[in-house]
Amino acid sequence: MRRPRHEQQVSQAFVQLADTLVDDYDIIDLLDRLVAHAVTLLAADAAGILLGDARRLLRPVSASSDDAQTIELLQVQCEEGPCLEAFETVAQVRVPDLARMADRWPRFVAAVEDAGTFASVHAIPLRLRGQAIGAMNLFHRRPGPLSDDALALGQALADVATIGILQERAIRRGEVVNEQLQTALNGRVVIEQAKGVISQRLGVGMDEAFARLRHFARANNLRLTEIARQTVDGELDTDLLVTR
Amino acid sequence: MADLGTVTRTLLGIIRDGSDDHALAQQICQACMDGLDVDGAAISLLTATASRETLWATDATAELLEDLQFTLNEGACMEAAVTGNPVLVPDLHHSTEIARWPIFAAAVAEQTTVGALFALPLQWGAVNLGVLDLYRCTPGGLSTTQWHDALAAADTAALMLLGQRTAPGSDDDGDHGTTAAAWLDHALAHRAEVHQATGMVIAQLGIGAADALARLRAHAFVHQRLLIDVARDVVDRTLVFTENPT
Repeated sequence: MRRPRHEQQVSQAFVQLADTLVDDYDIIDLLDRLVAHAVTLLAADAAGILLGDARRLLRPVSASSDDAQTIELLQVQCEEGPCLEAFETVAQVRVPDLARMADRWPRFVAAVEDAGTFASVHAIPLRLRGQAIGAMNLFHRRPGPLSDDALALGQALADVATIGILQERAIRRGEVVNEQLQTALNGRVVIEQAKGVISQRLGVGMDEAFARLRHFARANNLRLTEIARQTVDGELDTDLLVTR
Repeated sequence: MADLGTVTRTLLGIIRDGSDDHALAQQICQACMDGLDVDGAAISLLTATASRETLWATDATAELLEDLQFTLNEGACMEAAVTGNPVLVPDLHHSTEIARWPIFAAAVAEQTTVGALFALPLQWGAVNLGVLDLYRCTPGGLSTTQWHDALAAADTAALMLLGQRTAPGSDDDGDHGTTAAAWLDHALAHRAEVHQATGMVIAQLGIGAADALARLRAHAFVHQRLLIDVARDVVDRTLVFTENPT
């Protein structure tokens, strides 16, 4: 039976996320867990999260895979595509068959065709008080729509992302949302820089560099972004990252 | 895109004419004064070696605020610099704020008429360039719109200053204006590959992140290529930086 197993996975995912939210957690680490859960629970082949910055421009912050194609598919949606639409309309965008959307999003569809792997995509807004602070993207190799149940689950994951961003530190004054978004986005930059340092020092790819950084942070109960910053500043011996 | 703030729009419209850090900081401070209803602004650079330089202060009070904080080693700006988070003090005379920085608050009360302070870090990943400080004589917080604009302005100002400090070659070259503008193109400056390549060059040359970015930009400039393409070559390991400038 597939169903009970699936329900078990769903509850385990939310229990793990709820546990994370209790501690002094790192927002990038939380979003990284979220996209991994989204891939598993929604049988997606890739997932990613983009957040709007203070200029209301979308920027990728998390991806289930660091391969260049996935990153490019997220990147191009800063300008056009389902994620930008979900972000602007605060509504879910279902694209069961991408091949038919070339007129609407020429650059995005071209990028998907270049990647050659995905046939359908869904975008779910990260909602907050009638606005969107970003969007979650789900890619599937097979064409076809996600069920309403699956989209509801995806929305629940997106809502956890919003809560996570808002609660990362104690909420103070009204400005907290933009401030937290900015912190999360800058955290992403630090992590990319750290991945480069590790990749060069240890002779590994970007995916592996991130896996080692994440493993070290989690194993030692340290904040991912802080470990990344120490890596860039040369305060952390990258030889410590040899195992995962 | 949607609702760009007044200050951010002004900053994006500033024509880069080969002016130096100080002139650029002056323009940024002025845009903040015009658009954010503040009485003064200052930009100070803070380097890893704990040295600092105030690039521009709009008036004597703004300059004094910077000096006091660096001398006393406490205050909103120092906290923003250390934590990398914005520090907002809508009422500097409030007891909780005084408790936060007792010596600084006392000195400000004694020597100035400043009532509110807002300190915004200027950063690019692990690079902390410095802080944009804004002050008001009357206590009161920034409105949501102003806050939104202030954050976006700080983000843009950080990219502008970083672009200025890492810009390659002579400013007389006609191409340079294009390069500088391209750097400010948000989508380009925030490409993952640019950050990853910066990290790789940090490790290849044993230098800091700002210097690594400068080397990448210099290479792109000399070879008349886009920064993103140079970054991709570095990530793909087809381009490796060595001690000798390329």
